[in-house]
Amino acid sequence: MFLSPEVYKKFEDIVGEENICGDLAIMPSYHSGQIGAVVLPKDTEQVQAIVKLCNRLNIQFTVMSTGFIRAAMPQGCIYLDMRRMNKIIEINEKDMYAVVEPYVTSAELQAELMKRGLNCSIKGSGAQCTAIIRGHGHMDLSTGGDDRNQLGMEWVTPAGDVLKLGALGSTHEWFCGDGPGPSLRGVISGRGSGDALAEGGVITKAAMKLYHWPGPAAFELEGQSPNYNLKEIPPNFMVRYYSFPSVPQMYEAELKIGESEIMFALMGFNVAMLSANISPNMEMELEVIEKLNKEVQGPGFYVIVAANSPEEFEYDQKVLDKIISDTGGKSLAMVEDPKVGALVLIHGVRISVSIRETFRLRPVGGKAYGFQIMGQRDVNIKWIDEAANRKKELIKKGLGADDGGVYFGWSVENSHLGKTEIFFDPSPHPESLDAIIDWQQTTARKALEDHLNPPTHLPLSVVGPEVSNYHIWSKKLDEAFNPNGTTVVLPSLMG
Amino acid sequence: MFQKDTLVKIVGEKNVTDESSTLDTYSKDLSFVNTLRPDFVIKPKNANEIAQLVKLANETKTPLVPVSSGAQHFRGDTVPGSGGAVVLDLSGMKKIMRTDRYHRVAMCEPGVTFEELIPAVEKEGIRLNLPLLPRKSKSVVGSLLEREPVTMPTYQWDISDPLACLGLIVGTGEEFRTGQAAGPGTIEEQWEAGAVQKAPYGPGSTCWHRLFQGAQGTMGIATWASIRCEILPTLEEPFLVGSPYVERLFELSHWLIRLRLVNECFILNNTNLAAIMAKNWPCDYQAIKHALPPWILFYNLAGYEYYPEERVSYRKKNIQSLTQKIAVESTKALAGISAGELLQKVHRPSEEPYWKLRYKGASHDIFFLSIADKLPGLLDAMNIEANKASYPASDIGVYIQPGVQGSSYHCEFNIFYDPQSPSEINQVSQLSTAATLSLMDKGAFFSRPYGKSTDAIMNRDAATVTALTKVKNIFDPNNILNPGKLCF
Repeated sequence: MFLSPEVYKKFEDIVGEENICGDLAIMPSYHSGQIGAVVLPKDTEQVQAIVKLCNRLNIQFTVMSTGFIRAAMPQGCIYLDMRRMNKIIEINEKDMYAVVEPYVTSAELQAELMKRGLNCSIKGSGAQCTAIIRGHGHMDLSTGGDDRNQLGMEWVTPAGDVLKLGALGSTHEWFCGDGPGPSLRGVISGRGSGDALAEGGVITKAAMKLYHWPGPAAFELEGQSPNYNLKEIPPNFMVRYYSFPSVPQMYEAELKIGESEIMFALMGFNVAMLSANISPNMEMELEVIEKLNKEVQGPGFYVIVAANSPEEFEYDQKVLDKIISDTGGKSLAMVEDPKVGALVLIHGVRISVSIRETFRLRPVGGKAYGFQIMGQRDVNIKWIDEAANRKKELIKKGLGADDGGVYFGWSVENSHLGKTEIFFDPSPHPESLDAIIDWQQTTARKALEDHLNPPTHLPLSVVGPEVSNYHIWSKKLDEAFNPNGTTVVLPSLMG
Repeated sequence: MFQKDTLVKIVGEKNVTDESSTLDTYSKDLSFVNTLRPDFVIKPKNANEIAQLVKLANETKTPLVPVSSGAQHFRGDTVPGSGGAVVLDLSGMKKIMRTDRYHRVAMCEPGVTFEELIPAVEKEGIRLNLPLLPRKSKSVVGSLLEREPVTMPTYQWDISDPLACLGLIVGTGEEFRTGQAAGPGTIEEQWEAGAVQKAPYGPGSTCWHRLFQGAQGTMGIATWASIRCEILPTLEEPFLVGSPYVERLFELSHWLIRLRLVNECFILNNTNLAAIMAKNWPCDYQAIKHALPPWILFYNLAGYEYYPEERVSYRKKNIQSLTQKIAVESTKALAGISAGELLQKVHRPSEEPYWKLRYKGASHDIFFLSIADKLPGLLDAMNIEANKASYPASDIGVYIQPGVQGSSYHCEFNIFYDPQSPSEINQVSQLSTAATLSLMDKGAFFSRPYGKSTDAIMNRDAATVTALTKVKNIFDPNNILNPGKLCF
């Protein structure tokens, strides 16, 4: 036990002996570091008491809800495991928001929402993750992403104060997280890039914006895992994968689809990523990749049409056909098979298509090298395309895993914004890791030098001065709200 | 305190004035805040001059009051809240830096009005998500900073929309840019690289623009803003739905927005629709008002590049099944008011005189956010307060704007009065104070507090005030930016 018995007892007094653990045999299941104790608060009051005690005793704390990967933690810190805070507090159908505690997963929330004809944004990290995580996902085209789905929030600050954002602070309603006056919402709901107040405190409840769901109250499945599938694609739904002769043609189609407001989901997966989602195991996945590679003409994306009426469905299809025809797109025959389309649908809507494609090829907890950039899609495609060319050169030399040098991305909010990602895994070559880290640094520096975006993988002291000195302002915010430096790493609810 | 010659050195002689009549015009507005004359009115021309003035204000502890829109002002936020203040009038900063169809974005300085920006973006094939008939002199940047509601809720994904990025001089005199605009590189270097200041996120994990919206110039002074735009439709077909039952119109607006069937969508009472549509005053106004049903929902269908007629056609059919279920009827005209004519007005700033001033010469607006279930009770509460104040409830204009893709409603009461009548001013002022308290008690959320009720609103959320004060101390440690507003 890293805490003295006296200190341990103080935390035990808050949560009860059943909800604290300092057993050295158990701690490694949470983290490889030397955690002081794991505590499981049941409500905001207990979270606040824990945080205040940490401040009083000058002990650092960190928080985890549904995640399973955590960066390094200082020895003896308190680890808040949020699994007891797992309630859906409210689903407001008329005003289309849901209020949840941090351990409610997207899958749980979505299941309840679908019964009511509603849907929520599910992040790429998967439906098994907390519903209130900030990030992007595969329905972003119609559900938006990042912090733009968050409404009212309850936040225990790093100093242990409870702040109720927006309407919640004065009316006990969750529909708005902004005001009175300036909005504190964007400051607290971080993604954990290591630079902001977002690192601090615990979000104990949050309201999320909801969207209409035109599909069934529940998906009916058949088969046994991993060979399960939807019984059928619901009426007014359609799934397709289109490939294009070039990236510009693909993006032109993506943009037009967004502008015409016809699409429920669009995801710029390459065939390997598609294959991961339609193949039940690695052997079949490789076979499917080989087959699909022969059929595609270049980069592509999958789409899910989900219309509210037969008339809308007919219109959406007609516009889609026109756009695909104008941009030289070609439909992948395999996905036109309803059984295959159904697999894409269930993964794209209920699970997150990133799960299989990520974890089949990369060990859990393994480091992913690369970039995930939100923002202006066309400019980021240009930057990542150059990075992909450098990646291909390294692959040719055997210095990285051969995935064809691919990258991917998708449009957000009817193609107003977008996300673009590239990953690069090491090969067995002894110099591979160094080569990939060098590629990563080169790509990051290009973003800075070419004035494209503030890249990750460079020190804040390098990036910040080029980007409105935001690192200095972030530090000031952190000092104001986290005066004792008690919160460790990122908040709360990532992952 | 500023010395005039120092100011002249920064902005030039013609851009500094201490002439009494000019100072008087900035000392008051149509709100009920106390009259207070500034010492100077300065018209900076660019961000560099603003930065110099802010630094000078820090040295001399001089309050600065930024103003972007032209007169009339309504909310008290541009009237100095403390003595010895200097007004920075940004209305001369008129550059439209970008109108970009491909990226659906525009960018302009704070002096650009709706009357100026609307035609500029339309020329490119895009449009703004407008507030309801803003006055011609209203600054676009000012409207974005105030988080004014917009008439196309389907396109408002986040309450901060359609603001994209901001260029700012914060209270320390330093430059700061929000979102994608923050860097790397200057704005010009970003343009050269193809970047257009569209994404509001960041820099880093903080969404900084949220701290400057709703701040009434107390955190920083905006020198430009970029604005998310939507595509100009190739076909539009507007409708009116009248009803004595406002709950039915809430139900209909919920489904129209939830299913993303419409562009413009809002609810007015007969008083406000008459105030907007009447041509000959006062006879037209009264006739229209009495001919209209108590509540009117306006919605507009649009078609774009692909098969616009078919898009509008299937939506009409889908809406028909909704209206049948809700027992309301969509029409092209209601009591002689044409939906098409209203649409034309909604696409533009208000004609002069500003629609809120036509009835009695002035309007005091009480506005807040709420949810569908609470709105009927809040409408009743306002009527009760009006009756208590002997103000005819039927004379109050009501504007209800669904927002953020249907997750909240902006509710606005327009209380018309004669600005030359001390008794009416007194009556409306007292009504406003009492109604604000009553509405708050019944769950109204005053997310944008202005004027005399600000303290009562902010005092209900002490934790937020404490947190905002911490942020204020970072961006404006000497409290030189618009002191006396909000909780600062």
